[in-house]
Amino acid sequence: MIKLEGINKTYFGAQPLHVLKGIDLNVGEGELVSIMGASGSGKSTLLNILGILDNYDGGSYYLAGKLVKNLSENQAAEYRNKMIGFIFQSFNLIPFKTAVENVALPLYYQGVPRKKRNMMAMEYLDRFGLKDWAGHYPNELSGGQKQRVSIARALVTSPKIILADEPTGALDSKTSIEVMKILHEVNASGITMIIVTHERGIANLTNKIVHLKDGIIENIEENNSQIVDFEREVK
Amino acid sequence: MDFWSEIFMALRRNKLRTVLTGFAISWGIFMLIILLSVGNGLKNGVSSNFADRARNTYTIWSSSTELPYKGHKANRWIPLTDKDIEYLENHLYHVDEVSPVFTKGGTLIFSDKSKSVQIDGVRPIFKNIQGIKIVEGRFINDNDMKIKEKVVVIDKNTADEIRNKIRQPEEKKTNKRHLKSPEETVPVLGEFVSINGINYVIVGVFESDMMWGGTGQCYAPFSTLQQIYNVNNEYYKLSFTTFGLDTKEDNESFRKELKRNMALLHEFSPDDQRGVWIDSQMLNALETNKIFNTINIFIWVIGIAMLISGVVGVTNIMRITVKERTSEIGIRKALGAKPRSILMSIVMEALIITTVFGYAGMFVGMGLMEVINKIMEAVNAGKGANEAAVFLDLSVDVKIVFMATLVLIVSGVVAGIAPAWKAVNVKPVEAMSNRS
Repeated sequence: MIKLEGINKTYFGAQPLHVLKGIDLNVGEGELVSIMGASGSGKSTLLNILGILDNYDGGSYYLAGKLVKNLSENQAAEYRNKMIGFIFQSFNLIPFKTAVENVALPLYYQGVPRKKRNMMAMEYLDRFGLKDWAGHYPNELSGGQKQRVSIARALVTSPKIILADEPTGALDSKTSIEVMKILHEVNASGITMIIVTHERGIANLTNKIVHLKDGIIENIEENNSQIVDFEREVK
Repeated sequence: MDFWSEIFMALRRNKLRTVLTGFAISWGIFMLIILLSVGNGLKNGVSSNFADRARNTYTIWSSSTELPYKGHKANRWIPLTDKDIEYLENHLYHVDEVSPVFTKGGTLIFSDKSKSVQIDGVRPIFKNIQGIKIVEGRFINDNDMKIKEKVVVIDKNTADEIRNKIRQPEEKKTNKRHLKSPEETVPVLGEFVSINGINYVIVGVFESDMMWGGTGQCYAPFSTLQQIYNVNNEYYKLSFTTFGLDTKEDNESFRKELKRNMALLHEFSPDDQRGVWIDSQMLNALETNKIFNTINIFIWVIGIAMLISGVVGVTNIMRITVKERTSEIGIRKALGAKPRSILMSIVMEALIITTVFGYAGMFVGMGLMEVINKIMEAVNAGKGANEAAVFLDLSVDVKIVFMATLVLIVSGVVAGIAPAWKAVNVKPVEAMSNRS
């Protein structure tokens, strides 16, 4: 599903910063992968490149068999819209839109008619137990509810991959378990998922843990334990 | 369709922002209209007080000399005589018609009512020179002049007082308390009035548009008064109309020539500042025009300054609005919005706000001005006609207001485009992390 070959990224500021120094990574379809690393290891940059939110300087990135390189803004927007679902630490819901409108927004950019997109959005909200909260604004929702709304929004376009940036970073442990359970379910339905985290417990709930250090992959840890104990991992 | 409903939703959900932005624009346009209207009203009001007088008229006033000249002492009175009339009529080019003005103070008596008046002996042309508006009957005519008829044209206030006198005895008979409009029911034309013991027939009533105070103003044929008062061929004042004097330069050189010739005729120094006073209605008008132009420029400078401050205000609001929306723009980009679509929605929002509120401010402002006009009209109608209006017809050129509104709209939109373009091109991640 995802194939990275020698990805290099340098930020040209007052002092050029070589953030990614040749990343090679393969993520197969339906995998649940976590990327771990200290701050400054380049994990956020890697996620941005994976999400086509940022460019890279060297190497190649194939997403579902397509080379993602030197895309125009419009192409990038289209790829993001159709292939990638984002889940952010700070939810990034639009404050003046209701839950259902937030979920429906990606469909708006696909040109789906209002009625249909609201219906689809409602289905996803219902799936995460938020049907009764559809008409509420983000500031009327709890952190866990907000994250569920944003998961619904990430899924509504049926993307190929879900990229989650510290999805439990702003949540308490009980809610974190809830959110991780949902992400597991989503993954179980066949969607490839990459979670960036600095929490070992969260990483332990994934199949594959990619350890990033100073812009290179230090090692990739296979985690094949079939029994997932959410309560133990998330404290 | 979806595009628009998305925009309207954004405007509706961000009411405070929408209203504040809109208010800034409405207020700017509103104030601009008030300013321009009041300025125009002032101009109209002041110019209405001058409007009726013929512009091509001159008046020469008797005066005394300031300098000794050719054996004459200083402070010699220079009388205006028939010689001057003859000179003006026959020897000075540009002069059209001359009317001497013989002025006499006196007492007008009608029935048991008396009133102090000024009676001016004039020729028929004086009506045009002075811009006298006849509301009833006629002015002095050539026939009056020829046969030295004892006729008089009186001002409206005096006429109304006479009407009251006529009405009173009738009221006693008919037992009526008030007649609603005595002006229309009681004729004064043909009534006799006595001025300084001489009876005149009233042949006309004129609108008294100047402040005469309590004194009435009457006009009688010049020839009649000359005969009665045996005027020894000396006048205080000569008025005449001119032709072919269109520019300021024409008038100034004409005035100079007139002054020089009057000095020759009356043997006073051509350098004398006094001797006779020459007053040019045209030069006065040009002087007044200069004041109007100054007022006009002043209004425009303030108006443009206001427009600029409006533009700056709108620009600022747009910049802040876009900045505030940076994170929203980032989210939308991450979800797959194309830059153009975001830019379009920001620009359209700006366009809608500025257009709707701009024109709302415009209509409210112009509506208010209409209401004030109506009120002023009503108030002025109740007032005597001899009270000069300071403000009249507070109006503003709709074209100018439309243009001004358009300028604000365009500047608002243009002001929105630059920061929006910048925000749209910020990487989504940076935009989203922008928490202001």
